[in-house]
Amino acid sequence: MHKQTYFGARLSAASVSSPSGAPAMLAPRRAVARASALLAASLLACAFPAHAQNAQNAQDSSLSWKLSGFGTLGVAHSDERSADFTASVLRKDGAGHTHPWSMDVDSRLGAQLDLGMGSWSAVVQVVSEQRLDGGYRPEVEWANVKYQLTPEIALRAGRIALPVFLAAEYRKVGYALPWVRTPVDVYGTLPISASDGVDATWRWSTGAVRHNTQVLAGRTDRELANGLKIRAGDIRGISHSFEYGALSGRVTAFGGRLSTGIGRELFDALRQFGPAGNALADRHAIENKRVRMLSAGASYDPGPWFVTAEYGQTRTSSLLGDGTSMYVGAGLRRGAFTPYAGYAQVRSDGPTSDPGLPTTGLPPPLAGAAQQLNAGLNTFLSTIPVQSTWSAGVRWDAAPDIALKLQFDHVRPQDGSRGTLINQQPDFRSGRAFGIASVALDFVF
Amino acid sequence: MTYSIRTRLQRAILAGAACFLSLGAANASAELVVIVSSRNPAPTMNADQVAAIFLGQSARFPDGALAVPVDQRLGAEGRQQFYRDVAGKTPALLKAHWSKLVFTGRGQPPREAQSDADVRRLVAENPSMIGYIERSALDASVRPVLVLP
Repeated sequence: MHKQTYFGARLSAASVSSPSGAPAMLAPRRAVARASALLAASLLACAFPAHAQNAQNAQDSSLSWKLSGFGTLGVAHSDERSADFTASVLRKDGAGHTHPWSMDVDSRLGAQLDLGMGSWSAVVQVVSEQRLDGGYRPEVEWANVKYQLTPEIALRAGRIALPVFLAAEYRKVGYALPWVRTPVDVYGTLPISASDGVDATWRWSTGAVRHNTQVLAGRTDRELANGLKIRAGDIRGISHSFEYGALSGRVTAFGGRLSTGIGRELFDALRQFGPAGNALADRHAIENKRVRMLSAGASYDPGPWFVTAEYGQTRTSSLLGDGTSMYVGAGLRRGAFTPYAGYAQVRSDGPTSDPGLPTTGLPPPLAGAAQQLNAGLNTFLSTIPVQSTWSAGVRWDAAPDIALKLQFDHVRPQDGSRGTLINQQPDFRSGRAFGIASVALDFVF
Repeated sequence: MTYSIRTRLQRAILAGAACFLSLGAANASAELVVIVSSRNPAPTMNADQVAAIFLGQSARFPDGALAVPVDQRLGAEGRQQFYRDVAGKTPALLKAHWSKLVFTGRGQPPREAQSDADVRRLVAENPSMIGYIERSALDASVRPVLVLP
């Protein structure tokens, strides 16, 4: 029965994916199919809440296994009709322009298999959510083997999510978050979210303070869509977290070398314009660019209430921009209800526009081409997020393993930026605030 | 007449109070004790130390010996009270805590035993185990390291 739950979920997840380039008229039907598949999966999850788990004993060296999963069934509405609101830039569409109401913003399904044998354990987690091609093809989020050297030191090899911010590693597990989604202004600035490589975690303590120090090294090579890839090499990171009673916090620094084909045609064309064009292409193209990220966050959670704040700084030396982001959120726990509110913002530490190629002195046809390239470059630079968001909502722990959330966001992209929106239309205007209303049902099983 | 009304009123108040008190008594939790094997030399512990072991944050007793927690089954009387008293966590918060650890590959919740007797037997047989049972289920095979009011 438990296996059926798992495979049922997997099958539903697989059946909702569809090849890219399907006729647009099929989209509504696909959306319905997706919604019903997610609903079926969530019903399955609720109907069989029991864990497929055999006895686990730390001293047992026989093979143990466990299946578990998580998911969110969500719908979001945006009143900004000239662009799409999404939880991640790696999406085809969202709420606003494409559809006023969208189930693609927050809905997802994840399944995880854990294996253990003595000091060895392995984890594989796949997540199905909307991707750049619009499909829901499940993607491997985690896949690693762990060796517990001592009760305090663990070594892992495989795919490991980067331990950035307080919640980046479990940002897709809606149930584990007080809010509907991690603040897009902050978590949207992550240029890389996982590393294929190794890490070591050391747990230690000083008096009543418990520490966790993690170092990692790896690379990542991911196919996005339409032949577009993200490649990052030389990923190195260090993260330190601590807990002291109700207070916890984490500081992370990581860096890597990033390459993607985003804007390649534009930069190839710019390079036809001699040294000025080469300089522009070198400055903005995402080719072997050093990226680094710093984050620091803390949370105080005595139980009846909580407050959490984070700060992040990203440097990409490219059209992905340099940014500083922060958020503060707080909530009250009143029985099964947790009303909360928060503020988040992201600012660009570099220019979000560029004068581009000088056009004076160029013969008219070339000047026209240069102007077009400059406009294209500035369209890319306007995707560097500058935005602020006020949020308020309530979480209702409706049943064990199920939380229902209602959230309103007031979002304002600024300074010519489209903020964290995608698919902006010609009539999109930066500086115009808009509202997002979201309902999300989170479950774990 | 007046007397009789007053009496009835007094009786009603008394009945209400009794009802309230009995409700209170029904809600009042049984006394729980955190136990280790009688062969385990661990000294008494405080709630934070016990919570750290049961929440997957520490794998050792305060004296440095290995500690393996054994939980009561989900829905068992006492389980909710235990996590409320040692960690200040409701069942939903506890679930969120483990979701963060499980779905990042950092840990799995403690194994569960079916009853006080099962917990006591496991703990008695294994000096590295720690569990919690109702005080009335204590016997000489295990030793209390923390009493929860």
